[in-house]
Amino acid sequence: MLQPLAFYLFSLVTLLSATFVITAKNPVHSVLFLILAFFNAAGLFVLLGAEFVAMILVIVYVGAVAVLFLFVVMMLDTGFAELRKGALQYVPIGLVIGGVLLAELIFIYSAWEFAPSITNNIASPVTAESNTVSLGLLLYTDYVYAFQIAGLILLVAMIGAIVLTHRQRSGVRRQKIKEQNTRKRDDAMEVVKVTTGKGV
Amino acid sequence: MTDFSFALLSPLAPEIFLAVAGLFLLVVGVFRGDKDTSLVGWMTVLAFAITGYLLLNGSWEETTALNGMFIMDQFAGIVKLVILTGLIISVALGIDHIKQENTARFEYPILTLFAGLGMLLMVSANDLLSLYMGLELQSLALYVLASINRDNVKSSEAGLKYFVLGAISSGMLLFGASLVYGYTGSTNFATIGEALAQQGSMGAIIGLVFMLSGLAFKVSAVPFHMWTPDVYEGAPTSVTAFFAMVPKIAAIALLIRLLFEAFPSIAGQWTQIIWILSALSMAVGAFAALQQANIKRLLAYSSIGNMGFALVGLAAGSVEGIACVIVYMVIYMIMTAGTFGIVLSMRRNGHAVENISDLSGLSRNNPVMAYALAILMFSMSGIPPLAGFFGKFLVFKAAVGAGLYGLSVFGVLCSVVAAYYYIRIIKIMFFDEPVAKFDAGVPFARNLIVGLSVAFMLLFIFNPSPLLDISRDAVSVFFHNE
Amino acid sequence: MTPEFMDTYFWPLLFILGHIGAIIGCILLVMAYYTYAERKVLGAMQRRQGPMTVGPFGLLQPIADGIKLLSKETIIPSQASKVVFLIAPMLTFALALVAWAVIPIDAGLALADINVGILYLFAISSMGVYGIIMAGWASNSKYAFLGSMRSASQMVSYEVSMGLVIVTVLLCVGSLNLSDIITAYRPWWMQVLLLPMLFVFLISILAECNRAPFDLPEGESEITGGFMVEYSAMTFALFFLGEYTNMILMSAMTTVLFLGGWLPPFNIEALDFVPGFMWFVLKTFGVMFFFLWARATFPRYRYDQLMRLGWKIFLPFTLIWVLVVSGTLIYMDALPGQLE
Repeated sequence: MLQPLAFYLFSLVTLLSATFVITAKNPVHSVLFLILAFFNAAGLFVLLGAEFVAMILVIVYVGAVAVLFLFVVMMLDTGFAELRKGALQYVPIGLVIGGVLLAELIFIYSAWEFAPSITNNIASPVTAESNTVSLGLLLYTDYVYAFQIAGLILLVAMIGAIVLTHRQRSGVRRQKIKEQNTRKRDDAMEVVKVTTGKGV
Repeated sequence: MTDFSFALLSPLAPEIFLAVAGLFLLVVGVFRGDKDTSLVGWMTVLAFAITGYLLLNGSWEETTALNGMFIMDQFAGIVKLVILTGLIISVALGIDHIKQENTARFEYPILTLFAGLGMLLMVSANDLLSLYMGLELQSLALYVLASINRDNVKSSEAGLKYFVLGAISSGMLLFGASLVYGYTGSTNFATIGEALAQQGSMGAIIGLVFMLSGLAFKVSAVPFHMWTPDVYEGAPTSVTAFFAMVPKIAAIALLIRLLFEAFPSIAGQWTQIIWILSALSMAVGAFAALQQANIKRLLAYSSIGNMGFALVGLAAGSVEGIACVIVYMVIYMIMTAGTFGIVLSMRRNGHAVENISDLSGLSRNNPVMAYALAILMFSMSGIPPLAGFFGKFLVFKAAVGAGLYGLSVFGVLCSVVAAYYYIRIIKIMFFDEPVAKFDAGVPFARNLIVGLSVAFMLLFIFNPSPLLDISRDAVSVFFHNE
Repeated sequence: MTPEFMDTYFWPLLFILGHIGAIIGCILLVMAYYTYAERKVLGAMQRRQGPMTVGPFGLLQPIADGIKLLSKETIIPSQASKVVFLIAPMLTFALALVAWAVIPIDAGLALADINVGILYLFAISSMGVYGIIMAGWASNSKYAFLGSMRSASQMVSYEVSMGLVIVTVLLCVGSLNLSDIITAYRPWWMQVLLLPMLFVFLISILAECNRAPFDLPEGESEITGGFMVEYSAMTFALFFLGEYTNMILMSAMTTVLFLGGWLPPFNIEALDFVPGFMWFVLKTFGVMFFFLWARATFPRYRYDQLMRLGWKIFLPFTLIWVLVVSGTLIYMDALPGQLE
């Protein structure tokens, strides 16, 4: 009983907060609802027994990605009401596209049929002792190719971010810790013997 | 777990070398700074050349590696060689250009290198996962390249538009891929093909539709072409040249492999889609270009139209048709290299000019350049005996062979319309009053590329069969069952 | 209410609730006297006496403080985003408490001994930043906003190096379960190898908890109390509770990862007569003392220095150390042998 209860709780909150992401007037509230949705999705993963994925979802999406999201949205102080003004005129075309997609989905599900051999293709559920271990074993053996390319993609993303935003400004005063630490007494002051009555 | 040995990785040797070279050059660039951009650039060219050498020395027998995600065969080998040639040309064109524009950044060649790596991986993709990974690696590098001239509003706009639309198209591709996976239970092309051969399903077809629209975006086929003119116009010209030449070859090759390895059993369905994409692209490419005053925008529409012609071969779905697609893409790449080489040289008082009217009376100011551009334009419009004619001729011949009479007639009509604006450029160069001269001092590499390109256009007629034979050999891998 | 229902749901639930209540009670008590200890320790280090008036040796001071904060009026700024303003302190405090669910105080004595305990801890601590960001944004005040911006970037930056430190430990023990991490066999060379990581971790948790010398988000001399500037009474008390509970939590985490949890120091068998949880508590108190010690000793960092330390020193260093540790493990043939 407890499991279904938790399932309905998590899914309900996920769906509701997902709805609020779209309907909230304030974009910051939207992002906060998005975070709530992520968090509840993680809860659903726990119920599925995929605790590793759940935790990674929280660490990566909630703990890092959404923070940056929130950062940006909070910093943007432009009138969001202004931006929304013209949105209404796109409702018809949005409805058409949404309708087509919905129709296709209904089409797909009504035609749900498995070829006999497909059951052989479907991956068997993980049997190793914990899903962290089995994920690791798969990721570094069968899927190492995709894993490595994902690394390259992230590298390119990093290069891209630096190329597009990093600016070498001239005339910036920086702290030079090495110079500070290697400074000797003689570099900074001079000891002068002063005879009385003469001054320096 | 199977035991690991480095021999298992031997089909990937060129790619691994290229990735390592990219990392190495990145370190070189970071330590030497932007002042050594041309050093990094020429080293990138060298890296491409060595990759090509490794590729030529490797085995082109059909082998899969890494859990079937990576495939190496005749087709992949040929297309990769073409892509590497294109990469070398575009980097060579780019190095001098970014120096002239004072936007020299050492990341430029490195991003080109990673984009190239992504293309090689796309060509060898044998799995929905590796398809997506290669595509993303390529696209992400291209987004950055489009906006690399970040102080220019148009360049930033180009990058942003490309990125947003590209992200949507990737989303569609992924959605389609997930449907295909859901209905066939596998991400491997061959397994998908087997599953669908047993029993086709509606879900997989709809998945294929989404995947096709994602890939159509990458080859800028109508109706997924909206980004092309803006990106071509906004991006730095050398980047535009790169966009026009290389990524589309990889995307087309990927499309061919996807369609013929994973979905041959529902060919009846996808040939219709390709048919429509092809017809629309040819029409938009021909008619929208008529209004353009900017030569980069004009070439953007021209590339949309040319993709339409290439897709005609794919719609034919025969050995002949696919082989012609390869031939067409090769000819188009070399033609574009020459054309952009000339566009890059359109500079006045140290600034690039991009309007067609700036070419006015070029034949009197700079006859060599005018004749070169004229030959390239004649070739683009498909006037015999230039190479461009053969591309179109072969494609339509294959289409007629496959019974696509309507599409062929429509294509010929479109190419007649398109000929108007190519020839208009020639008219402006030869019969209009001259305006001020272009700057002298065109770099040697650019002249060489234009020269070779023009020579290829003129001389292709004397010996077209090697390219044709090679292409036919290459695509025969998809028809081993027949 | 069938007896079956009572047996399967009610009693276990009551037991869990009791367990939770016990943990929270202990934490709150320790936390209350941690504030007292802080003032005493700071006093001693600055040659003063600290609180002496309320109760013998000022022992009732924290309780008096608590009553004071409870009885004050909660002020909500009129321009504030009220709901977010009120949720922020609750979130901070709640997150500081829920993390305790997985901490094993003695062998088998954890509320939930889950497989991915360390990831759970890391996830919860990475969420802590939301309370601060929300507070700063909802207050609708420049100082609060600046403070929360500082805090967010600081915590995100140091989480990176913390994560890599945790990776080095995980490489050595080969499990994400906290009890396994404590009991895993660690030869002397492994402990030497992990020692630099302990120092990095200690410094990172100072930054993660926004404690001196990294208390820039509060920086009263520049931004008058940072993200908490608009908070008063109970809402402030919740932030305060959250901050101190977090410090205790981080100390416990250090104990689990590096100091051997409930095991006696250096596994000396003669010390086995002391119950395990005592060792755990003692070690945690030791790390908690480090927090106070650091506060009394170091002047506050400048913001750019803080970022420099995080990104230019800790990140490369921990990255290299991940390589060093994994290389050594392979060389010594001591990779955790779970995967045969």
